[in-house]
Amino acid sequence: MESSITQAQTGKLGRAGKAVKIKADRSPSEKAFVGFIYAFTGLFALVCLLPFWIVAINSFADESAIKRYGYQLIPKIFSAGAYEFLFRGKQVASSYMVSTTVTVAGTVLAVLITAMYAYVLAHPKVKYRSALSFLTYFTMIFGAGLVGFYILIANWLHLKDTLWALILPYLLNPFFAFIMVSFFRTLPYEINEAATVDGANDLRIFFGIILPISKPVIATVGLFYALQYWNDFFLALLFIDDYKLHPLQIMIRQLISNINIGAYVGGSQTNYGQPLPTYSVQLATVCVTIGPIFLLYPFIQRYFVKGITIGALKG
Amino acid sequence: MPIVREIVRNKYLYVLALPGLLFLIVFAYVPMAGHLIAFKKYRLADGLWGSEWVGFDNFKFFFMSSDWYKVTFNTVFLNGLFIVCGLGIALLLAIFLNEIQSRLYKKIAQSLIFLPYFISWLVVSMMTFAFLNTTDGILNRLLIDNGMDPQNWYLKPSIWPGVLTFIYVWKFAGYYSIIFLAAITGISGEYYESAKIDGATRFQQIIHITIPLIRNVLIVLALLGVGRIFYGDFGMIYGIVGDTAPLYPTTDVIDTYSYRALRQLGDFSKSSAIIMYQSVMGLVTIVIFNAIARRIDKDSSLF
Repeated sequence: MESSITQAQTGKLGRAGKAVKIKADRSPSEKAFVGFIYAFTGLFALVCLLPFWIVAINSFADESAIKRYGYQLIPKIFSAGAYEFLFRGKQVASSYMVSTTVTVAGTVLAVLITAMYAYVLAHPKVKYRSALSFLTYFTMIFGAGLVGFYILIANWLHLKDTLWALILPYLLNPFFAFIMVSFFRTLPYEINEAATVDGANDLRIFFGIILPISKPVIATVGLFYALQYWNDFFLALLFIDDYKLHPLQIMIRQLISNINIGAYVGGSQTNYGQPLPTYSVQLATVCVTIGPIFLLYPFIQRYFVKGITIGALKG
Repeated sequence: MPIVREIVRNKYLYVLALPGLLFLIVFAYVPMAGHLIAFKKYRLADGLWGSEWVGFDNFKFFFMSSDWYKVTFNTVFLNGLFIVCGLGIALLLAIFLNEIQSRLYKKIAQSLIFLPYFISWLVVSMMTFAFLNTTDGILNRLLIDNGMDPQNWYLKPSIWPGVLTFIYVWKFAGYYSIIFLAAITGISGEYYESAKIDGATRFQQIIHITIPLIRNVLIVLALLGVGRIFYGDFGMIYGIVGDTAPLYPTTDVIDTYSYRALRQLGDFSKSSAIIMYQSVMGLVTIVIFNAIARRIDKDSSLF
């Protein structure tokens, strides 16, 4: 630090700013600071990556090698046994179907309903839009609570052990609705007026003009919804007892807590002749679950960055 | 009737809003009736309306047990740790990432740091288990290899506030650093230029330009976090701790406690009283801290 302070003092005497900058960058303490920055961020990034690496590489490890040596950075003996075991059974296919169906259907419905609702909240012609906004906002600060919610789904709507219980409760997220409201407000109102003069009603304006030009915000909000549906286990924990309707997340939970993994993953016809690859099956299931997110990550990352930035700035 | 006139005039717009409005009524407002159960002795056969009123008995039951203090303390304490450490590390990362000249290095580091945000709490739980389980966990293997005794981490409640905070930072540092980075990018380059001319080092630029100019973002995020301090993250705590009873003393939050009261004890009334307590405390703190946040920064106050 001391040398950098003298650097700053001598810098003031320098005539050209540029020369000072080069000089400042060269000072040893400056170099050390930059080095520290690179090391810290690099190390943090590695810590973020490490669990993914351990899970992915050890899902290909031989079960007896894990039992003997523990999880390794590079497994001593490779084996695809866990995946063979996993895909021989029925559970992973059925859980995949459930998770995919819920995510796709849920996201499409949620985006549509949210966009329609947000468009009205943002529309200057709607007299009661601030009342609607408050109605929406209030649900964010005062929740119904678990008990009322549970009774609604289980006892009043009778949705236990149906896929609807996994889809319906997340159809309208007020936070995402307000992100869309702030986007719709930026659209020029002239679009609306021109279309009205041409005789289009509000439904046609929305579906024919507004939706097509709103693709960026729809993609962003849609991806947030999709991630929520794919990763959720709360609804299934509350409302799904039938293992045929277990989504992938609940399957992971069963693999952690369930003692009888063989029967759960493999079904009743499992051959118990050889020991079950318990650890590697757990890891393989995790890989299968985060696989799609991982593959799409390079393409979807920027939408999430944008969504977080808008959400933080506007909300 | 002005309402009818308005609805008829903009009938297509109200048609568009109808599904969303119906959703809010059915899934957000109707279940609010569940709060009534807090004042009743709920029996499934009698239903919500038929069950007997018992006044404040359910609340007495909850507040007289030591659980009340324990779960409230855990909720506030854990959330406090998450806010301080989560925002602190994220701020540091954002400032550091902003200083990195190599575009490739910055992009790769940022992508990796953001990655944990995308996985579910059960996947995180599985990873935690791989690191900490007693017989084959990575940590215990390391201890054994270095001649130390393995520990039963899932029986040691004292380490779990630290473990959970580590996990929280691991999962959300990337998320919050994006918000900070956006704020830093918004700072005019002129400040830095003139600082450079004055011979300021990078460290001095960070201390005297970057941090003061994004201080409001930090304060607002912290206030919004404090506003939700009575709400534990159920997915996180239940996903990671689950039903590991030995860890309850330091990890049981209001949300997991009321969940167990409902699903494992089947005690709707007790659970409802706890949730009512949480909702009221939560409403008061959110309203107070949102108002403060709004005063500090009109634009970035949440909702």
